[in-house]
Amino acid sequence: MNIKAQLGRVRMRITPQVVIAAIFLILLSYMVLVPIIIMIKETFTVHPMEQFQIPGTKAGDLTLNHWWKIFTSELSPNLFYKPLLNTLIVSTCLALLSLAIGGILAWLVVRTDLPFKKFISNMAMIPYIMPSWAMSLAWITLFKNPRVGGSQGLFQFITGLETPNWFAYGMFPIIITLSIHYFPFGFTMIAGALKNIDSQLEESAELLGASRGQVLKKIVFPLVTPVIFSTFLLTFSRGLGTFGTPSFLGGPVRFYVLSTMLRANLVGQRTGLGYIIALVMIFIGVLILYMDYKLVSVRKSFVTISGKSGKSGLTRLGRARKPITVVVIGFLLMVTAVPFFLLAIESFMLIPGNYSFSNFTLHYWIGEATTKIGLGTGEAGVLRNTNIMRALWNSIRLGFSCAIVAGASGVLIGYTVVRLRGRKVAQLLDQMAFLPYLMPSIAFGSIFLALFATQRGPIPSLYGSFALLVLACSVKYLPYASRSGIAAMLQIGPELEEAALLQGANWWTRMRRIIFPLQKSSFFSGLLLPFISAMRELSLVVLLVTPGIQLATTITLNFTDRGWYPYTNAVMVLIVFAILFSTFISRKLMKTDLAKGIGG
Amino acid sequence: MGISKESHPSSANRLEHVRDGGLKGGIMKKSLLLLCVLLTLLATSPLFAAGTKEAPKAAAAPVVEENWDQIIAAAKAEGTVVVYSTTSRITDAAKMFEAKYGIKVESHRLSEVEVIARLSQEAAAGVVGADLAILEDYPSMKMLLIDQGVLFNYTPPAAREGLAPADQNPLVFAHVSRIIGYNTEKYTSDPFKSIWDLTTPEWKGKVMIRDLAITGEHQNFFSEIIRRSDELAADYQKRFGTPLVLREKNAGYEFMRRLIENDLILRDSDTTICEAVGKKGQVDPPVGFIYVYSKHRDAVAKNLAVTYSANVQPFGGYYYNQYIQQLKGQKHPNASKLFTEFLMTQEGFSAWSKDLGFYSSNENLKGYENDLPWSYWKTRLWTYEPQYAIENRGNILDAWIKYMK
Repeated sequence: MNIKAQLGRVRMRITPQVVIAAIFLILLSYMVLVPIIIMIKETFTVHPMEQFQIPGTKAGDLTLNHWWKIFTSELSPNLFYKPLLNTLIVSTCLALLSLAIGGILAWLVVRTDLPFKKFISNMAMIPYIMPSWAMSLAWITLFKNPRVGGSQGLFQFITGLETPNWFAYGMFPIIITLSIHYFPFGFTMIAGALKNIDSQLEESAELLGASRGQVLKKIVFPLVTPVIFSTFLLTFSRGLGTFGTPSFLGGPVRFYVLSTMLRANLVGQRTGLGYIIALVMIFIGVLILYMDYKLVSVRKSFVTISGKSGKSGLTRLGRARKPITVVVIGFLLMVTAVPFFLLAIESFMLIPGNYSFSNFTLHYWIGEATTKIGLGTGEAGVLRNTNIMRALWNSIRLGFSCAIVAGASGVLIGYTVVRLRGRKVAQLLDQMAFLPYLMPSIAFGSIFLALFATQRGPIPSLYGSFALLVLACSVKYLPYASRSGIAAMLQIGPELEEAALLQGANWWTRMRRIIFPLQKSSFFSGLLLPFISAMRELSLVVLLVTPGIQLATTITLNFTDRGWYPYTNAVMVLIVFAILFSTFISRKLMKTDLAKGIGG
Repeated sequence: MGISKESHPSSANRLEHVRDGGLKGGIMKKSLLLLCVLLTLLATSPLFAAGTKEAPKAAAAPVVEENWDQIIAAAKAEGTVVVYSTTSRITDAAKMFEAKYGIKVESHRLSEVEVIARLSQEAAAGVVGADLAILEDYPSMKMLLIDQGVLFNYTPPAAREGLAPADQNPLVFAHVSRIIGYNTEKYTSDPFKSIWDLTTPEWKGKVMIRDLAITGEHQNFFSEIIRRSDELAADYQKRFGTPLVLREKNAGYEFMRRLIENDLILRDSDTTICEAVGKKGQVDPPVGFIYVYSKHRDAVAKNLAVTYSANVQPFGGYYYNQYIQQLKGQKHPNASKLFTEFLMTQEGFSAWSKDLGFYSSNENLKGYENDLPWSYWKTRLWTYEPQYAIENRGNILDAWIKYMK
């Protein structure tokens, strides 16, 4: 008792978690709250282009017109309510589907005697590594009907059947393709959590006569609830903000979502209207975040990593093992190989769309700069194009820097939020760390530019620096790391640390010797998503890069712009390989094998 | 933010921890809050100040005699020029300029929306990121950048000689054309007499357009359809022999509504539209409404059967301008002048005259040999009236959204 009281008092002083919370809150309030305040202010301001639509005003005047127009005008149904409904349906289905696919895969890989686990774990990340448009492109190539013209869809070519419009375009394919793109979130996060569950719990239950269903319901689900909610939250929010896929697959049947309306109003230079829509998206995200917080905190914590050792026992799939393996690998091949093939093949065709054998070439990879061959671009093939290679190197550097900054912050935030659980500070930190994720990239990018372009008090100017890119991407993707950090920390009981504390271990030692080793696989999966995302980011960084520091994604704009898709696709293939290669190397260096970590 | 919740301690130990911490936490929280507020104020005040500051009016630059030997020497001393551009061909022009003068051109390609956002945010922060910009979307450029004193005009000698006065300020660099394209395998002769044909049952579900909601120049152009709605109404009468029955304010809005209600197909890129229209072997190919004509340049290489409608009335498409503007506070003023001059000459423009669909604002310059001259296109294409577009573009987007079912 005496010791405990003493311990309590020690922890009460300025504990590391309080200090960390304070530091992060200050940093985040500058980088997150300020942008939101700017956005809110814009929604009450007449923009120069709007003064003619809002009679009797001039640019800069205060107005309520935007709010009125969005929520109560005759335009509201089409401008807001219908897109909102579409968005909610897409996001919900997307989140549930990614959860289901990711969850089943994770369970199979972590908890059963499924073969080829390493291969499956690696494959399961590839849909997210590829750009999301690769998936929508694949969908259209396979399932389009004559409505959008061009060459025949492969499905129709083979079967002679025309796909119905609802199947080819609009909500249905948007949900499917986005789910395929985002289920890796569910896979990594749930796999990480499952891995941390001491299987003795399940075995004990089974010994006590619980059926498999009961074990799942009473033990596994409650234990992975936090991570399920995190996954739901992350994928749902992606569904809110994503623009490319709805625009590409929804356009042919005039299917609009909130992100389309946001973009339309930004293109129309009606920033006020656009930001209201953005704020609604942020609000919905916060609402789910709040529900998550409520639910998880009501359930108290389930500590699954205790001081005791737990060795996983694997569920035997028995006779189902073979068919399940075939289905899993078949599914993964379909969702990775098909889009990847379509992505890659275009970089090998001298003239896009011409599939004859003589048209295949390495010109766009290793060709010299010439205007005589193919599209006559006068650009050197990507592998000998120094500008592209430099840009690719910048992207790799950005990915790593961002992963390290976001990953480390994520573990610290996870630690802090969990150790301070139940306090408002923890909740605030949790929410603040999540907000940037909900902000539309294009708005976030432009506000970030304004915040850091010049020196403000103690905050230095980062204009045109690489650091600004790292900062923006790290903040934007912090939620991946912080969510997996929180989910992982919820499973680590305080007694390990308390024991160490009794032994006189200081905070740094505790982190280094206890928290980080236990968190290694979660930490790694927390790193992976920011890394991949940063390497593929475009709309956030396009306003922040300068001609001197181009990224692989921004440099492709030059090609896409002119319809030089072989280059764009070749660069995307390089990005995919760079991501795969970098994860491979870092696993070796960090001695943290993702596949092994998840595969148990 | 979130609603606070009393702690849920799972043990007595934690309860003590939390309760004790709550007190100090309160103080901490308050000071934290204070800090956040301070930071917020610190950050927002200069921003807001910058946003509302009175912009100096762009004064008409007096034409001064320039000493070009001095300018060239100074430009070479500056050594670099930085340009933001909505056209990626700038990289080709940059190479030629570098070879000729030894001055490095750093070019950065941005979309029409991004270039406006970037320039205005940088200006608000007091940063000058480039020396000059090539940009589109006159209304946004005028209202958000020129009138705010972010950009100013410079008319180089080549433009003073060769350009119509109206094109000199703001300096028009080139015209870009958008046309109505159809498949020549399916339609051996021009299927359109009037743009109203696109709203008839025959073309239901077959008309493709780059979504106006995400295409600023479309928003500008449709204001012209409204402005010249009488011509549209007259054309309807001429085509069908009966007067147009209006459900909307005027023939322009009526056209928009009928176009959408005829099961319009929205796409997100002009390249996609051109390929969809021109692909050979289609039973029932779509038609492309006002996509960039330059997409036809690869028609032969890509084996597309596509051409533009030459007979459609009252407009065969539209064109918009690309402008060259200087940034206030530019770091390399002489190199920027020299590069502007270079772009306005035959040599600089050759980066654009290799292909269809781009026309110099200087009619004396040679264009692409396989394209018709600007004098032909000028009479066939509409463009938008700048001030009218500024005032009405918002209504266009509203109407577009309203007509979507």
